[in-house]
Amino acid sequence: MNFLNPLALLAALLAVPIILLYLLRLQRREQPVSSTLLWRQVIMDREANTLWQKLRRNLLLLLQLFTLLFLVFALIRPYVNVQSQLSGKLIVLLDTSASMLATDVAPSRFEAARAEALKLIDQLGNNDQMTLIAVDDAPRILSTTTNDASQLRASLNDIAPTLTTANWSAAISLAAGLGGEGTTTIVISDGANAGDMQLLQGAARYIPIGSSGDNIAISTLSLRRTVRGLSAFVRVSNNGAQDDSVLVSLKADGNLIDARTLAVPAGQSATWTINAMDPAITTLQASIDQAEHNTLAADDQAYAVNVNNTMRRALLLTRGNRFLEQAMSTLPNLRTTRAVALPPASEQTYDLYVLDNMTVTLPANANALIIGAQTVFSTSGTFSNTAYVRTETHPIVQDLDWRTINVLDIQRVNAPATLRPVILTQGGPALLAGEGVPMRNLTQLRRAVVLPFELRRSDLPLQIAFPILMANVVDYLAPPQGLSVPTQVRPGEIVALPEGAVVQPPGQSPVAVDARGFANTNTAGIYGFRLNTSAASDAMNSGAFAVNFLNPIESAITPNPQLQVGNATTNATVQTQLTQREFWNVMAVLALLLLIAEWWVYQRGVPARLASLGQTAQPAPSTPASTK
Amino acid sequence: MLSEAFLRSLRNLRLNPLRRRSGSLTGERRSVRRGRSVEFADYRNYTPGDDPRRVDWNIYARLERPYIKLFEDEEDLTTHILLDSSPSMQWQDEDEDTPYKWRRAAELAVALGYIALASGDKLVVETNGRAGIQHFGPRRGGAAMAELIKFVEGLMNTSSTRIPANVPAMGKPAMPLNDWFKRYALKAKPGLCIIISDLLDEGGYEEGLTALGSSRLDLHVLHTLCPAELDPQLIGDLKLKDIETNRTQDLSLDDAVMAQYRQRLSEWTAAITNFARRRGGRYHLTDTSLPMEQILLKDLRRETWLV
Repeated sequence: MNFLNPLALLAALLAVPIILLYLLRLQRREQPVSSTLLWRQVIMDREANTLWQKLRRNLLLLLQLFTLLFLVFALIRPYVNVQSQLSGKLIVLLDTSASMLATDVAPSRFEAARAEALKLIDQLGNNDQMTLIAVDDAPRILSTTTNDASQLRASLNDIAPTLTTANWSAAISLAAGLGGEGTTTIVISDGANAGDMQLLQGAARYIPIGSSGDNIAISTLSLRRTVRGLSAFVRVSNNGAQDDSVLVSLKADGNLIDARTLAVPAGQSATWTINAMDPAITTLQASIDQAEHNTLAADDQAYAVNVNNTMRRALLLTRGNRFLEQAMSTLPNLRTTRAVALPPASEQTYDLYVLDNMTVTLPANANALIIGAQTVFSTSGTFSNTAYVRTETHPIVQDLDWRTINVLDIQRVNAPATLRPVILTQGGPALLAGEGVPMRNLTQLRRAVVLPFELRRSDLPLQIAFPILMANVVDYLAPPQGLSVPTQVRPGEIVALPEGAVVQPPGQSPVAVDARGFANTNTAGIYGFRLNTSAASDAMNSGAFAVNFLNPIESAITPNPQLQVGNATTNATVQTQLTQREFWNVMAVLALLLLIAEWWVYQRGVPARLASLGQTAQPAPSTPASTK
Repeated sequence: MLSEAFLRSLRNLRLNPLRRRSGSLTGERRSVRRGRSVEFADYRNYTPGDDPRRVDWNIYARLERPYIKLFEDEEDLTTHILLDSSPSMQWQDEDEDTPYKWRRAAELAVALGYIALASGDKLVVETNGRAGIQHFGPRRGGAAMAELIKFVEGLMNTSSTRIPANVPAMGKPAMPLNDWFKRYALKAKPGLCIIISDLLDEGGYEEGLTALGSSRLDLHVLHTLCPAELDPQLIGDLKLKDIETNRTQDLSLDDAVMAQYRQRLSEWTAAITNFARRRGGRYHLTDTSLPMEQILLKDLRRETWLV
């Protein structure tokens, strides 16, 4: 044992005044009494207790001296050198991926990993520092580099594993950024799916978690329309090393419709196809209800949404434009019909019309993208000064960068007041949009977007901006329906719902979506949503999407106890180092306890009549407290 | 010493002996001896209950107030008052408002002596002060009252100067209680014996009381203790000094010790009570800080010492 502050030993000299005061106090005051007759009898009664009386008087002194001793001991800051496996600057990478939810070690791999991390925190020496990093798909620093064990513990208590895959390369980059000379990186993980850990710089250590790889997972659930109705396809994978027989159930809209026991050999999968289901069902849930060798519950459920596919129909009026046709064919939920003339009015109408330099009289209240303005609006010549000036705020230019686009010349449109410029060049507008736009023939278009130049006279179709523009324009002219939202979402993925939409996560209260989209997809399940657009019908306004674990990488939970991290493997000899461990706080607590004990002993010995002493003429006796 | 008014309030009180005694003087009490009275001794006021045959009708005709004629050779009662004035009785509380033990004891002796004289009893007073045994009487009749007061005041002047608490006590202790009582018992005539003492004596009190009791004396122990003895307010580590014997005693006083003291005190007084009762006597413990009216007119009357 050594001391950091031996000079504080001088405080032990305080024992001298304590003892002196004590001795002074012991000089008894003479008190005349009429007779000691009765007092002597009292003493005879107490003879048996005399030892205790003496002891107690000395007990107070002893307690005071011990209190001082412990205080001095705390002040000189004693420490012992302990053999610590780790010291210096530590970076702890704590795996919080989905495989850590496995329960092959009780209560779960994650809790075991957390316990390991807590152990490391407890081992921290006075000069050691630790950084905690939680590793899931987006690794993040839980606590900055610190020696504060309570802060580390608190941040460790705040985390929970997610349903995502660990992004080890990002975590290693993060650790490399934080690391430096003398840094030790500690990986606490099950080692499943962590292949690139050798990239870790500097000293590294791996604490393996997990004992078994037994896991049965639903790896696929898909819904398909057939002529006979809906078909569902379920694939169950056995990621473990033992054959298993698995009871799988299928629920439609919460009602059990079928269940089957599947034999799944080790390392293989079994499939199950359910045909001729009611096409009216909206949600489907497959779950593993019973399996012998299954330690991960997160992948035992899968969800699917039956989307009532109402396509948007577009009429492309062109004499032939490969770029346009290509761009429109790739857009989801859009069925494009190509024509060179408007079909007779008796035929079906279209959700939107695309006029590619064609002179056509569009029906009233149509939605149209008009390329080459002179066909619909009056124009007054062209301008070639097409350098980009600015972009107005409008949905059709979302994520669009016009600066790299060159246009040879642009028609000057005599635009109606409702048709507003969206992209301005030095010569005039290069893109216009508006609602309730009257055409030359005074028929009103409901929504119109005007590109007042021929596509072939610009490099727009060659730019990345073109498909973005087309997607925005189509969504603007025929507003997004429930269907434009993906039906399958991974946990943690952001769903690009428009602002104002309301999402109903499973088992939670509804959430309004802000401009950044809906990001709280951490729980698997069916998420209902409702768009907050008043124009379209309810069917087009609401829908659902399924957040599914369905992650073959994380379902393979076989732990890897021999993972190579950095230059060392786990079974390489761990070098032990000496760390200073202080324990002044223990001494301080002991001193406090002794002080309390001394006060208690004193209180027991002194009658509560102390107050009344002030009234009688008896001088107050010296108290032990006064000797401090 | 005692106010005129207070003494007047005592006029109608009489000491109440436990047993009938035969005396050598005619008194108001019926004697066990039958005989005639011939020699006039004194007059005294008529009090209800007196034999109307003994009223002096001549005086009544003259003054229209009844007087009783007292004759020698009839029964009377000798009242003995043994006033302890040992150093422990001289103890004074530090509280100036409390009359100190000795003064209160002397006042009690005067008052009880006055009652005895006023009811025609023969009175003997003896103390064992530092100056030795001092004696008063036997005297009877109202005229002796002034002498009694003079005697007691004399005692107070010689032996009763207050002892300051911090001054080493007076020299030689008085005669031990046992010796004094035994000596007195030898010469005492039967009657009522009032012992005014704190009984705080190294040698104890038992033998003395036994001797007095067996001398055909009605034992009346008036135990006078002051507040400092009844409920001492002491605390801490002290060296207790006995002002009578100069003995010291180291003691660390705390709640437990104080409780033990009070326990001891009550056991001690209970023992004296029993001792006195077994010898056909009475016992009364009085706090010397109480007013005289309280002690005489209430406490002692309630306990039928006085009627």
